[in-house]
Amino acid sequence: MSFNLTYQDVVRKPNPMVKINPMKQGSGKIVNLQDRVDKLNKNAAWKKTKKSWAEQGKVFDVSRIPRFTMEELGLLDIAEDVQRELDEKHCANRIAPTDVFDPALLQPALCIKTSNGKYISINSQHTVSTVAALIDAGLVPGVTDWRTFKFPFYYVETDSLAFARRAFGVHNGKGSKKQSQYMQLRNAVYIVRIDKETSDADEVAKERQVSIAEQHECFPVEVGSDYTKYPGTFTNISTFENLSDEEIDMACAWHNKYFHYEGIHVSLFFIYRDLVRKFKPAKCKVTGQLEEELAALIQSLFGNLAQFAESCKAVWSSYTENKHGYKDDWNDDIYAEALLQLYKKFGGQEKLPKALLETHDDLVEFFDDDILNLAP
Amino acid sequence: MYYFYIIVSAFGRIGFGITGNPKERNKQYCSHSGGIVDFVFLYGGLSTHAKALERTIKTQYTDHIWMIDDWATEWLNDNVSIEDFQYYVNELITERHFKLALVAKDFNFNSQ
Repeated sequence: MSFNLTYQDVVRKPNPMVKINPMKQGSGKIVNLQDRVDKLNKNAAWKKTKKSWAEQGKVFDVSRIPRFTMEELGLLDIAEDVQRELDEKHCANRIAPTDVFDPALLQPALCIKTSNGKYISINSQHTVSTVAALIDAGLVPGVTDWRTFKFPFYYVETDSLAFARRAFGVHNGKGSKKQSQYMQLRNAVYIVRIDKETSDADEVAKERQVSIAEQHECFPVEVGSDYTKYPGTFTNISTFENLSDEEIDMACAWHNKYFHYEGIHVSLFFIYRDLVRKFKPAKCKVTGQLEEELAALIQSLFGNLAQFAESCKAVWSSYTENKHGYKDDWNDDIYAEALLQLYKKFGGQEKLPKALLETHDDLVEFFDDDILNLAP
Repeated sequence: MYYFYIIVSAFGRIGFGITGNPKERNKQYCSHSGGIVDFVFLYGGLSTHAKALERTIKTQYTDHIWMIDDWATEWLNDNVSIEDFQYYVNELITERHFKLALVAKDFNFNSQ
């Protein structure tokens, strides 16, 4: 029995992403606040919100805006039932490492000021604790006592600890728009590409990962953005970032060679993660023939990788229900295992690691009959 | 056999979808719309390829999808003609080697 599926070429069309890739360069565009006000005024959700303010007679009380002052750190207390426990490792490993710490990046102490003149921290204990401890360690030239060191405080006058608790939630994510994985990656890439700043090894590594993908016309984009309609785009940033350079290079090269007309499904990254990591110890090689035959299998049996992935999820549900009597949670290892078991089923001759073929050894039998009936 | 269909609503809007049972699916459309609506073009073939075709339309033809607020429907915008859409579908099937073929025209639940 020999492998009898053949990959059929698909006409390559110019990918618009090559020219409009937002990672390639920043727009350089700086707008004034009026631009943003104009945008809001045109937005349907904003119009609805304005209407409800008017209907409810709500107005903006400017006296409630927090105030800014420079105060001695010794005046600040931490209410342990408002803030979290101090995470010492966060101070040591995230704020104060020698290659990261920069006083210009410190945020002001967010606090309430009570009627007896006390400042109670809302969201700043890791910052102020780090600053005070650095002074205590004699690492701040000219400053000997952290208690009298003046630091920026941003405060609201109130005696309400309920307000403090609510404010802590707001400043720690509740109600705020979080920075997406894509935005974090884009910032790292821009710092290296636009600002030519290469002092952070992590940012340099991320830019290198993106560059490798771009060489193969593969592009990280924001979830839900207009870019997702273009071939070669992907949105699962965290899986991408967890791959080695070699894995990204091989995965993106394969996609660009065989499925250049499709968006990238995240299964591509899991498959190549396992092809690289599990082939080496088993002394197996990801040959050009294997890669072409896997492309032929995906194209012939599923049309594209996204559909293969959907079929894998159905297979895993049936498999676990049959084996264990219940549908187990999805397991990302299944993509590569199912693909290589199908490859063997269809007569593939390349040497494959047992770890991928035998962990769930009869997985392949749970594909639909209209797929299995095509096997030789 | 699995199917991909192109439908025209009673109001003239073009739509699309997939099904394993085109007669039953057509009955549902007729029931909701209060009249006979045809699957103007019905393609049959491998289920995975019918699903892949539909997925491709939903992701790459997205500028033409009719939106109701933030809900992407399986209908197309007013300005998309049946000729334009069928040309696009045929091109996808041919260029991407989807194992699908036109099996009926003007199909409804009364068709033989």
